[in-house]
Amino acid sequence: MKIDPFKELNPPTKDGYWINKKTKERFGGAYISSLLVPNLKRVEKGFFKAIKDKKFMKELNEELETFIGVNTPIHFSPELTKLAGGEKKGKIFLKRTDLHTNHSHKPVSAYSCCKLAKYLGFKKILTETGAFQNGRAVASACAALGLDLDIYVGANDAKKLAINKDISALHGANIIEVHDSTKSLLPAMAAALRAFQSEPDSMYVVGSVAGPHPYPLMVRTFGSVIGRITKKQFKNLVGKDPSTIFSVCGGGSNMLCISYPYLKTKSTKIYAVESAGKGLKTGKHGATIGGGGKMGILLGMQSKVLLDGENIAESFTEASGLDFSSIGTEVAFLHSIGRIKFLTATDLEAKKTFMMMARKIGLICAIEACYVIHAAIKEIRKIGKPKQNHLIHLCGAGEPNVAQMMEFMKKNK
Amino acid sequence: MSKLNNLFRNLKKNKKSAFVGFVTTGDPNYASSKAIMKEMTKYCQIIEAGVAFSTSTSDSPIIMEANDRAIKSGMNLDKTFKLVKEVIVETKTDTCFILMTYLNPIVVYGIKKFINMSKSVGIAGLIIVDSNLNSPEEKLLLKGLTKKGIGYTKIISPTNSEKFIQQSIRNTKNSFIYITTYAGLTGSKNVNLKNVKKLISKVKKYSKEVPTGVGFGVKTTKHVKQVSKYADAVICGSSIVNKIKVGHEKKFSAKKLAKFIGKYVKTLSAGAR
Repeated sequence: MKIDPFKELNPPTKDGYWINKKTKERFGGAYISSLLVPNLKRVEKGFFKAIKDKKFMKELNEELETFIGVNTPIHFSPELTKLAGGEKKGKIFLKRTDLHTNHSHKPVSAYSCCKLAKYLGFKKILTETGAFQNGRAVASACAALGLDLDIYVGANDAKKLAINKDISALHGANIIEVHDSTKSLLPAMAAALRAFQSEPDSMYVVGSVAGPHPYPLMVRTFGSVIGRITKKQFKNLVGKDPSTIFSVCGGGSNMLCISYPYLKTKSTKIYAVESAGKGLKTGKHGATIGGGGKMGILLGMQSKVLLDGENIAESFTEASGLDFSSIGTEVAFLHSIGRIKFLTATDLEAKKTFMMMARKIGLICAIEACYVIHAAIKEIRKIGKPKQNHLIHLCGAGEPNVAQMMEFMKKNK
Repeated sequence: MSKLNNLFRNLKKNKKSAFVGFVTTGDPNYASSKAIMKEMTKYCQIIEAGVAFSTSTSDSPIIMEANDRAIKSGMNLDKTFKLVKEVIVETKTDTCFILMTYLNPIVVYGIKKFINMSKSVGIAGLIIVDSNLNSPEEKLLLKGLTKKGIGYTKIISPTNSEKFIQQSIRNTKNSFIYITTYAGLTGSKNVNLKNVKKLISKVKKYSKEVPTGVGFGVKTTKHVKQVSKYADAVICGSSIVNKIKVGHEKKFSAKKLAKFIGKYVKTLSAGAR
């Protein structure tokens, strides 16, 4: 299937803000030290040049189709439909971005950003990773494009996701473990930004729709290939747009990348699912919106943030890809204007869903995807109507979670 | 006239440079930090007091560890204000105190409340690492601080464009402009004198008035001496903070740690002309 050209549906201001006109809240911007300004300007200028360059875009789309394999299937899931109450609640479909090269939605934006870096003459990439899905995707892209790579990963995450870490190393990536504060995604991203300041000849590739302008815009623009293909595919398959789209949301990249082409499609409701960790009430969660995050400024962006006084609160969830105390800027904006509805699922619910998917559906899903499957079934049971069509974004494969889930299985025999 | 303007006018008259010592407030704890800052007032014309932020995007590991120690000891903005006020009152010092932090603590605290507290404590100036020149927060801060006679410093580095430098000079009010000697993280390299000379002459091209402060990689008395030939203020950060770490690891009492740091700062500051 051919990739439709990108259409800007929700442009930020030239300084990279999405502004809620009612509340006057501003999401985005570039809150960075002056030392980073030239680096970001170079990336911003290059990005706008590249997306207008027909030759670059044609080549990129071809490589996304062939190398990344963006034409992943959408299929009806009779079992999930049954679990949600049967067809009287509508049909449930799965979009399978777990079938991309490197087994998650991340390779689409990761490969595109690395291709941009090469186009701009950078020789080396810096990136951060939580669940190592982005790390692995960037590592593979760098290998394919002949770029050097440093991956910053929280020391705790590095321990948990050994297989993707090893795969990244096999691709030739240099892996730097970050031992600051929570030893998770947030300090890894801060470390990558600091490295970007020290190495102006390297390009930072952000793994989510977060960070300073132009990153949120760039990652969702490139990543929206997923949504553009989905929109066409779904129409071909079902004859109309989905009634709902459900995606999991840490920083929000997979949610925004699949939902973006539907932003102006009023008949499609968009849902995002955050990790409630041990439960929202325990305070140990990764739910920035569900957990009452406030406006704050971190990692170069103004967005909703989980705060502890004037500092950043530690998020908690067993899913490394969702362990983030903030949320992508455009995602926070879309929530503030009421375009996205947020739900949560706990770590335990996700793990039970993982087992259900393994035993009943025959799929080993990334633990991150299990939060959305759980919450979607629960929500569809509540709101679903006959003749509706629900789309769940299955955004990653679960091989990296196998060790963790074997333990869970043994304990719960 | 603002405190910093007054200081730089007097220094100019006497053909001298200011010595600026940086510490993170509350590092390694409230009592020791207070003793250290009191001791430092003897040798520093300006103390740059860092307000710890956990998600620093611009500091070297040395400063980040100091931030961690301060946060663990329970520091926040209110405690920073209390600490600085106690130091000023108890020493009756002329040393100017400038706060250095990230935007998040200030925005969460409330920009207006922050400016009012700064005024009542006697804070002379402010440096915010991640405040964008064109952000709405920058405009609010500039307006509010200037109204209260509190200085505002922008940071420029060798990789910034002429346009960026000009705008940074415009946004620097009642204070010095901070020139980094290299593009990188605080304290990660040694001072680059070539860059210093080049950037100071660029600044002077656009403004004869704005004082220049030079930092990043200024680690020895010799560096201080070299830099103070050209700059109106010389800033030492990481090397002092590293000394605090050394003393803290040796489990020095607040008093002993303060003397230990004081002695070191005295040696460094002797390099300022």
